[in-house]
Amino acid sequence: MTSKSSFWGSCRENHKRRVWVWIVAVLSQLLAYGGMTMIYLSRIRGFREDGNFKTPEAFQQAMYQAARDALGFSDNLYGIVFLLAAIIGMQGFSYLFDRRKVDMYHSVPVSKNRRFAVVYVNGLVIYLVANLSGLIFGTLVSASQSAVNGEVLAEAGLAFAWNFFFFLVFYHLMILAVMLTGNRFVTIALFLMLALYEFLVNDMFNGLKSMFFDTYAAYFLQNEPKFSTIYDCTMNIWQIKNAPDAAAAAKIAMPLVAKWVGIAAVLLAAGWYAYKKRPSEIAGKAVAHRFLEPVLKVAAAIPAAFIVGRVMYDTSYQNETLLVGGLLAGGVILCAAMEVIYDFDIRSLFKHLLSDGIALAAIMVIFSVFKWDVFGYDNYIPAQNKVESIAISVDGYYDSYWDEDRQYIEKNQFEKENMFLTDASFVLALAETAKQADPEEMEESRSVYILYRLKSGAQKERCIQVDFEDPGTGELLNQIFSMDAYKTGVFPAMTDQKLLEGVNKIQYTNGPARTVIPVEEAGRLRDAWLKDMKEFDFTLVRQNRPCGVLLFQYKDYNQRQFIVYDSFENTIAALKDLEAYYPMELDPADIESVTVTCYHNELTQQDDEMDYGIQPRAVAETWDGGYTDYTVSETFYEEEQIAQILPHLYSNWVDAPWSRYKDLDDNYSVEVVFKRNSSYPYDRESYYFGYSIYAGQVPDFVAEATAYTGE
Amino acid sequence: MIEIHNLTKCFEQIKAVDEVSVVIREKTVFGLIGTNGAGKSTVLRMIAGVIKPDEGTVAVDNMPVFDNVEAKKRLFFIADEPYFFANSNARTMEKYYSGIYEGFDREEFYRYLEKFNLDRNRKIGTFSKGMKKQLALLLGICAHTKYILCDETFDGLDPVMRQGIKSIFAKEMEERGLTPVIASHNLRELEDICDHVGLLHRGGVLLSRDLEDMKCNIQKVQCVFTSVDDELKALNGLEVLKKEQRGSLSTITVRSTREEVEARFATVDTIFYEVLPLSLEEIFISETEVVGYDIKKLILG
Repeated sequence: MTSKSSFWGSCRENHKRRVWVWIVAVLSQLLAYGGMTMIYLSRIRGFREDGNFKTPEAFQQAMYQAARDALGFSDNLYGIVFLLAAIIGMQGFSYLFDRRKVDMYHSVPVSKNRRFAVVYVNGLVIYLVANLSGLIFGTLVSASQSAVNGEVLAEAGLAFAWNFFFFLVFYHLMILAVMLTGNRFVTIALFLMLALYEFLVNDMFNGLKSMFFDTYAAYFLQNEPKFSTIYDCTMNIWQIKNAPDAAAAAKIAMPLVAKWVGIAAVLLAAGWYAYKKRPSEIAGKAVAHRFLEPVLKVAAAIPAAFIVGRVMYDTSYQNETLLVGGLLAGGVILCAAMEVIYDFDIRSLFKHLLSDGIALAAIMVIFSVFKWDVFGYDNYIPAQNKVESIAISVDGYYDSYWDEDRQYIEKNQFEKENMFLTDASFVLALAETAKQADPEEMEESRSVYILYRLKSGAQKERCIQVDFEDPGTGELLNQIFSMDAYKTGVFPAMTDQKLLEGVNKIQYTNGPARTVIPVEEAGRLRDAWLKDMKEFDFTLVRQNRPCGVLLFQYKDYNQRQFIVYDSFENTIAALKDLEAYYPMELDPADIESVTVTCYHNELTQQDDEMDYGIQPRAVAETWDGGYTDYTVSETFYEEEQIAQILPHLYSNWVDAPWSRYKDLDDNYSVEVVFKRNSSYPYDRESYYFGYSIYAGQVPDFVAEATAYTGE
Repeated sequence: MIEIHNLTKCFEQIKAVDEVSVVIREKTVFGLIGTNGAGKSTVLRMIAGVIKPDEGTVAVDNMPVFDNVEAKKRLFFIADEPYFFANSNARTMEKYYSGIYEGFDREEFYRYLEKFNLDRNRKIGTFSKGMKKQLALLLGICAHTKYILCDETFDGLDPVMRQGIKSIFAKEMEERGLTPVIASHNLRELEDICDHVGLLHRGGVLLSRDLEDMKCNIQKVQCVFTSVDDELKALNGLEVLKKEQRGSLSTITVRSTREEVEARFATVDTIFYEVLPLSLEEIFISETEVVGYDIKKLILG
């Protein structure tokens, strides 16, 4: 920090004042990298001693992977890097908090620009040298155990850059916090507030929407923090780490890093500006500028009030009066606390009533906007001519989803990326029908998530409740389900370009039967199934349950499923041709026994109602308040009886998407045991197979045998 | 020359410095006197470029001082509580300042350290308050800046040390034209060192004068008049600042030169009269009482 010596001379002089930060930074990185490397590698060696590796190559690969975990992308380091950024940022400029230091540093002939640059650059140097020291130490530890190869070094290098940009964001954030405040306590509070503010505000708005909007959903659009480096890291680190190659990792990482650099640049510019405008005399005070006090107070009071309000709302079983009370109490307490912090004087609790009033008014305005849906959120249905395309997820079907690189993805992501209904009319009509309907009167209410992609580029999401039993709704869903654009967004097997690549095994199953089909038949089966899917619609799935499932299994353990209905003539014909088809209904000659269990839910429900005081007193008085097991099981061995039961069974293993809730009787469960000598190709690894009985089809003798007698 | 023009500084609602205008001439010792809270430190910190005035200007040799390296090269500011690096010793501080001030004289610094019996290797944290102030002064003197700004720096120094520092000041003023600016709440402390004094009170300048001018223009006369007519005749046309009567002995403070007073009293019939020298304290008492202040309460306690 000299005027006559060089910039680097000034840096050297400044480093002398930062010895303890050097020690903390270097030690933390040596311990983190060195410690993690030793622990991870030691663990792998322990596994080897336990005989967990079949070949030396497998052990070596595990050692490399352990070294990558320790030296490469790792969420273990973020906490340390975050703390280092805070410590280095604050310590470098902490002289601004002390009047005596300010008197000295600001009176000597060193320009403010030079001083800032020296302290800033030295902070970077401290981090980089410390991080590099830790990385080199960890690499040497790995190398000493022969656990370093090119991949380890490449990932370590990339992670070094990734961690540096993460550091940069919080380093700059801390510099800004220092420049806006006058003492360490308030600086740390502001730093944390700025670091977490987007989370808090997001959480506040998401909470309000879920509290007051019936159509709110975060299925397609998660309302993720846009500027949170912490969120970016936690959400993407594993994807980057597990990317198949460097290009795929870079594809995920580069946009994030570019965003962080932008955020860091903005924070640095703001920090620099605040530094230039920071009056020296505020050293030791709370905030650098008086005008910031009410701004920060109001900004902090709003999310804080909603946190208090939501806690009271949730713990009081959604009492809105307590919610409002919590909002007001939270706002008042936070405002008062901020005033006390500003003045370090408990008597300042209500010093600035105007800003207190503004904070409370803002809280109540936000609350009112959501409570009374001022902007018509729940009534929103876009005009058809404004809709570019739609993605819709109708509750009731789940598949396994992965992207073109065979990386697992979530269902919502698959639907969002693969479903583009350009004919919006049926979905809009469905939304209008749901708007007019009374959810209380729905027979079978299901959630439907709709993503409106508007021509303006905006995207809106709503969740509606539809009644699957309503004929009008059924007709609209029929139209939607029969669209090719819908099917390709629901069934991954319809869009997978690599469907036939790497097929390891093909099976058809109706639950117990597991027939293996030669992999060469994959194309034929796919084509047959796609032909049958042309007839797929809502009526099909409501009036029928699948008779089985065709499975393509791949070398990487992924699996594609093709649900098969009785009406899928082409598929069934192909399966029959391959001698792989077995109907859902079993042959009694193959069955050893059928065990039917009745849970007597009606009696359990009666007990529950007494628990909650719903049951009439006369009945309640006879109840002793204890738990009673009403389950009754009966096993049938007679072939005649078994023959009467089997036509009414449906395999638990076969999923029936969008089927009626009431199709199956949830009061009964069935276990079917095959004869050991049966030629039926049931899975020999299982002893019995679970079934359900169709509602209203329980044979009388079964009902009698499983009746509860109180014994 | 340091020119301060209409300097104003507020800390929140408190006006710490209110339109202060003072000129500090080169090669003089300027004393800035005032009670605690009068604004002395604030004025000095603005002169040093530590804080920025709300209004008004500070020019050091015609250069604005705030964040101006060239102007600051001519200043060395010793705060009321000088800061030294943690765990540092005199050598550490010398290395720091010699890296900053181009004219820092290291040999001279170590020579002075020995003269003042300050151990160069002893941790400054173990120094007494007075020793820290001596060290700060020596660093400031050896920085060889044109101006040295001392905020309450002489407070706490024992008389021997104070005399030693004054001698160094005198030498440096003579050799290289050093201009010390010394702020103090103690008038007596500055009496024998200042050439020019500015009196601050409640953020404003009550007066700013050369001591010699003040001493020459205020006279204290002890006198026994023979009659009231003689008294009226003697004082007619003179600006009487203060008059005390003990029996027939009158003690009169007037604004005039010694020659004029003696000439006036020579023409009237007195039993006894004598023109006495005034201490700085008495001059200030007289000057400030004229403008309605009780200086004893302000700076003498």
